[in-house]
Amino acid sequence: MKILLVFLYLVAPIAISADSFEILRNDVEGFAKVVPGKLFDFPADHGPHFDYRIEWWYLTANLKDQQGNQWGIQWTLFRNALSAKSSESGWSSNQLWMAHAAISAPDGHSFEQRFARGGIGQAGVNLDNQFEAWIDDWVWRSDGKSLFPAQLKFRIADRQVDMRLSSNADWVLHDDKGYSQKSEQGQASYYYSQPKIEIVGTINGQPLSGSAWLDREWSSQPLAQNQRGWDWFSLHLSDGNKLMLYRLRHEDGNHWLSGSWVDANGNLTPLSNDDIRLSEKNTRSIKIDDETEITLPLDWLIELPEMNRQFIVKPLYDQQWMETSFPYWEGVVLVEDESGMRVGEGYMELTGYQPP
Amino acid sequence: MQPSSVLVLKAVFSHYWRHGWQTLFLLVGLIAGVGLWSAVQIINQQARLSYEQADSLLGVQASYWIHSRTGKAIEVDDYIHLRRAGFRQIFPVVEAEVSTQQGQPISIIATDLFALPNNLLDSGEGDTASDWLSFVQPPYRAWVPRQLAEELELQPEDQLLLRDGRRFPPALIKSHSQQGRQVLMDIAAAFALLNRETFSYLVVGNIEADQLSQLESLLPDRLELIENQQHLDLQELTQSLHTHLSAMSLLSFAVGLFIVFNAVRFSLWYRRPTFMNLRLMGASSSLLLSAVLIETLLWSFVGAGAGIVVGLQIGKVLLPGLGASLHSLYDATVDTQLIWQFDTLLKAWGITLLGLLWALTWPLYQQLKRNSLPANLISRASLDERQSRHYLALSSLALIGVSIFLYPRIDDAISGFLLLGLLLFGAAWLLPTLLAFTLRLVSHLTADRQLIARWLIGDGWAQLPALRTAMMALLLAMTANLGVGTLVDSFRSAFVGWLEVRQSADIYLRSSKIDYDRLLDPQDSSTWLADSHRRIGVTSRWQGRQTLIRGVDTGAPDSLKLPLAQWSGITPEATLKQWQSEENTLLANEQVHYLAGLQLGETIQLQTDKGLIDYRVIGFFYDYGNPNFQFYLPYDEVVNYWTQYHSRGIALWLKKNDEATQLLAEKAMREAGAETGDWILQSQVRKLSLNIFERTFTITAAMNALTMIVAAIALLASLLAILQERLPQFAQWRALGVRSREQMMIIACPILIFVLVAWLLAIPLGAVLSWILIHKLNIVSFGWSMPMRWDMLPAIQLGGVILLVVAATLMLASWQLRRRMPNALAQLGELA
Repeated sequence: MKILLVFLYLVAPIAISADSFEILRNDVEGFAKVVPGKLFDFPADHGPHFDYRIEWWYLTANLKDQQGNQWGIQWTLFRNALSAKSSESGWSSNQLWMAHAAISAPDGHSFEQRFARGGIGQAGVNLDNQFEAWIDDWVWRSDGKSLFPAQLKFRIADRQVDMRLSSNADWVLHDDKGYSQKSEQGQASYYYSQPKIEIVGTINGQPLSGSAWLDREWSSQPLAQNQRGWDWFSLHLSDGNKLMLYRLRHEDGNHWLSGSWVDANGNLTPLSNDDIRLSEKNTRSIKIDDETEITLPLDWLIELPEMNRQFIVKPLYDQQWMETSFPYWEGVVLVEDESGMRVGEGYMELTGYQPP
Repeated sequence: MQPSSVLVLKAVFSHYWRHGWQTLFLLVGLIAGVGLWSAVQIINQQARLSYEQADSLLGVQASYWIHSRTGKAIEVDDYIHLRRAGFRQIFPVVEAEVSTQQGQPISIIATDLFALPNNLLDSGEGDTASDWLSFVQPPYRAWVPRQLAEELELQPEDQLLLRDGRRFPPALIKSHSQQGRQVLMDIAAAFALLNRETFSYLVVGNIEADQLSQLESLLPDRLELIENQQHLDLQELTQSLHTHLSAMSLLSFAVGLFIVFNAVRFSLWYRRPTFMNLRLMGASSSLLLSAVLIETLLWSFVGAGAGIVVGLQIGKVLLPGLGASLHSLYDATVDTQLIWQFDTLLKAWGITLLGLLWALTWPLYQQLKRNSLPANLISRASLDERQSRHYLALSSLALIGVSIFLYPRIDDAISGFLLLGLLLFGAAWLLPTLLAFTLRLVSHLTADRQLIARWLIGDGWAQLPALRTAMMALLLAMTANLGVGTLVDSFRSAFVGWLEVRQSADIYLRSSKIDYDRLLDPQDSSTWLADSHRRIGVTSRWQGRQTLIRGVDTGAPDSLKLPLAQWSGITPEATLKQWQSEENTLLANEQVHYLAGLQLGETIQLQTDKGLIDYRVIGFFYDYGNPNFQFYLPYDEVVNYWTQYHSRGIALWLKKNDEATQLLAEKAMREAGAETGDWILQSQVRKLSLNIFERTFTITAAMNALTMIVAAIALLASLLAILQERLPQFAQWRALGVRSREQMMIIACPILIFVLVAWLLAIPLGAVLSWILIHKLNIVSFGWSMPMRWDMLPAIQLGGVILLVVAATLMLASWQLRRRMPNALAQLGELA
C-alpha cells in the first residue's frame, strides 16, 4: 500500500512540493495497465513485472524475544521504471530500486533507506534458480523459486537482522481475485499477500520469533487526483484470523475503504466501503526532528458491523516515524477488543500527513 | 575661542570637495592596492578551502581510493561484489580527459549518484526532480559549470562536439558540490561517450577500522586500497604557487600605496593654510591631529570596502584560469564559485589602515612640526627633500646590505620573496638619490649653456620632491614587469625545447586493452612503424612525496635524447650510455635533487618486491611541471623487481608522418584493441601542454599588467598634483612672457630625464629579479631549473609604453594647465 510513496519519491527526489502531485497526474502512457481478470501465475508473479511502473515486495513482522518483549521489523524493496520503454539490463537500465527497512525494538525505532540503479546487479529481484530480492547486502533469498522458505538478512546501523521465513498457506488475492481497485475512476493495482508466515531468527544474536506478513503489489496508474494519503493496517489476531484494511483519504472526506478478512482456515472475505467503519480515536504529536513535531491519529477504532467485530488499534509506542525521502509513520501496533483485552498485533502505516 | 570639533572636521574635509582629482587619485590608489591584494587573497583562500575538501569527492567523504594495481581499469563486477558484501560507502568514478574541436582539454567526472553514501537527496542545492531524472536517463545530461560553459560558449541543451566527432550529452548549466571545472555526468552517459565499461577507480567513504580490515581482506589481489592523502599533498604541492601569488599581490598593494602616499602628502600640503588658520583660531594641534586621524579612518573604510568589491570582481575573472591550471598541474579541484569570507574584509581594512597611517605619519610629522613656520615653499621643500633623500638612501643601503646577507640563506619561497622585497624597495629608495645625482650631472654638463638649459635643470629640482614617489612606484612596476616577463619567456623557451625532445614520438597510445605483441609484430608493422617505446611504471612514495618509478627502454629515440640538467659522466650522451649499460644506476628528475637534496653519484635504496635495492644516481633530467618525484630505470629492471607494475602506454614513431601512414597506424592500433580516444597525436599533445602552460601564466600576466596600470596612474596623479601646486608659479612665468609650448618643455624635460633614469635602473634590476626568480625561487619552490633567457626587446617595448604614458599624462596636464591658466593669471593680478 505504498503507491503514493513510491510515486512521490520518483517524481520529487529532492523536495516534496506541490509540483510533485502535478507530475502524479501525468500520463502513464506506454506502461502496462492493470485490468480485472488477470490469472496469477506463481512463482513467475513473484518476480518483477517490468512492463508496470511500480512494484514492491513488502514484509512486516511482529516478533517477541525470550523475555516476551514486543519487536517489529519492516523490509521493503521497491522497483520503479523511470520511463515506459523497458530497459532492464546494463547501465542504461531505466529501473530504479529503493528499499526501506526498520526495526522497532524495545529500546526504540531505527530505520534506513537505500537506492540503487537497476541493470548492474547492485539491486534487483531474480527468479532464475531461486528467488532472490536484494539491494547491496540486504537480501531475501529463498531456497527455491517460491518465496518460502527463505532467509532474510539486513543490517541497520549496528543491528544485524537474520531471519528464517516459512509458510505453507495459500496466497491471498485481494479484492477481485488480486485486482485491487483504488478509486472509482479506475485506478487499481495487482495485489496479493501472504499473511501467515512463521518467522524465527536473531537480531544481533538475540533469538526472536513471531508472525510476518508479505504484500506484493504492482501497478502503473497513479492514485486519483483527490487522494492525498492513506491509513493501512495488517493485523494478526490471536484467534488465527488476519485482517488487512486501508483507507485512501479523499479531500471531501468521502474516503475509499477496502480490506480483506482471512479466517484461520484461509477463507477470504473481501471488505468494501460498506463493510468497514474506521475512526480516529486519539491524535498525538511526535517529534520528527529537533524542531518539528507532527500530529498523527495514532489510536484507531475499527468496526466491521457485518461481522459484529470491533478492534482498538494502538501503537506499541508512538515514535515509529520513518524520516525517509517521503516521510511516513509505520510501525508495530497492538490490537484490543472493546473491553480493552489484547486480541492481536500487527502493523500500521499512516502517510500523507504534513507537519504544521 | 576654540573652534568646535565639527567646524575643524568640516574645514579639514572640505579639501576633498574642492580638489576632485586629489580625491579621485587617493581613491584609485586605495582601491587598486586593496583590490589587487584582496583578489589574490580571495583566490588563495578559495583554493585552500578546496584543498581542505580534497579528502572528499563531489561532496562525499573519500577516505580511501581503490585502484587497480596494474593500472588497468576496475571491472563493474568487482564493484558490485564489494557493494553486496555491505560496503555501501564505496562508489565508482570514471574520470577522463577529452578535447574539444579547438583542442581545449575538458575533464569529465562521472559517478553513480544513487550509489553515493550520503543521501543524494541532501547533496544537491536547488536541484529539481527533473534535473536528477534527466541526469540518469538517456539521452542524459552533462552538468557543465557556468564558467566553463561561458568559455565554451555552450547554451543549455547544446551537445559539445569533441575532437574525434563524439558529442557530449545535452548540457545543463549547473554544478554539483566540488565539481570544480569538471563536467559531471552519469556513469552510464560516460560509458556511452567514452565507449568503455570500466571504472577509473572506486572511492571509499567513511569507514570504521574493523570494516577497513574486512575490506582489505576481501579485495582481490589486482586491486589495492590507497589512503587519501590528497588534502595534505595538495597543500604542500601548491604552497609555493600561492606564496608567489601573495608576493605579487603585495607588490601591487605597495604600488597602490605609493599613490596613496603621494595623495596624502599633497592633501596635507594643500591644507597647510587651513591648518594654520585653524591653529590661529585656537584649535589645538591634538584636535587637528584627531581630525586627520578620523579622516584616515574614513578613508580606510571606503578604501577597504570598495577595494574588496573590486577584488571580488578581479578574483572572479582570474579564478577559473587558476582553477584550470591547478587541475592540470596538481589534479586539484577548485570550485569556481567564489566563497566570500568576512575576515578577508577585516584583513583588507587592517592593511589599508596600516598603509594609510604609514603614508600619513611622515608627512603629518613634517606638517605639524612646520605649522607655525612661514610658508617659504621651494627653499623649505628643497631642504626637506635633501634630508629625506639622504634618509632614504641610507635605508636603501641597509636594505640592500640585508638582502646580500640573506641571499645565500634562502631555502624556501617565503625567504626568497622577502629577499626580493628587500632588494626592490632598496633599489626604489635609492632612486631619488640617483635622480638627484643625474640632475646634478646634467647641470654640470650644461653649466655654460644658455639660460633655458639651466632653467630646465632648476625646474627638475623643483619637481623632484613631488615626482619622487611616483618614480619609485614606476620603477617597481617596470622592474616587476621585466623580471616576471623574463621568467615567463625563459620558461616558455625551455619548456617548448623540452617538449620537442621529450615528446618526439608521433603517436602516444595508452589503453589497458592493448595487445602489444600484435601491435608491434614486425611483419605487420613494417609498413608504418619506425620505432616504439613501451613504458611501464610503479607508483609509490619516496621521502613523503608521490613518486613514479618508470621502466623505460634505454635505447628508445626519446631516451637517447633525454634532456639532462646534471650528469655525472663527461657529457650527457656518455651518461645516458652509462645508464644503458651499467647495472643499478638510475636517472632522477630534478625535483629529487632540489626538493629532496639528493646529489649526483649518491646511492639511494628503493623498496622493491624483492627487497631493498641500491641504485646510484648518475643524472638528473628536466621534468617541467611535475610536482612529484620520478626515477627512470631500465624496463627489464622494473619488470624484474616489481611485480605490480602498470602500463604507462607506448610511444610510436612513424616511418613517415603523413596521413596515409597515420591511417595505417590507426588501423593497426584498432586491431590491437585500441579504441578512439586511446591515442593522441604529437601535435595535439603539444597543443595541450602549451595550453596548460599559457593558462598557468595568465594570472601572472594579468597581475603584471594591472600593476603597470596602477603605476601609470601614480605618475598621472603626481603630475596633476604638481600642476596644481605650481599653478601660481606657471602664471608668473606666463606673465613674464614664457610661451605655453616652452613651459610644457620645461616641465616635460625633467620628467623625461627622471623616467629615463628609472627605466635604465629597471633594466638591470629586472634582470636581477628574474635571475633570483629563476635560479633561487623557482628551484626552492618547484624543484626545477631552466636557463635564463634575457632579451632586450621587452625592455625596449616597455620603454615605449612608458613614453606613451608620459606623453598622455603630459597632454592631459597641458590641457589642465590651459584650462586653469586664466584663473591663475587673474589671481596673480589680485595678488599684485
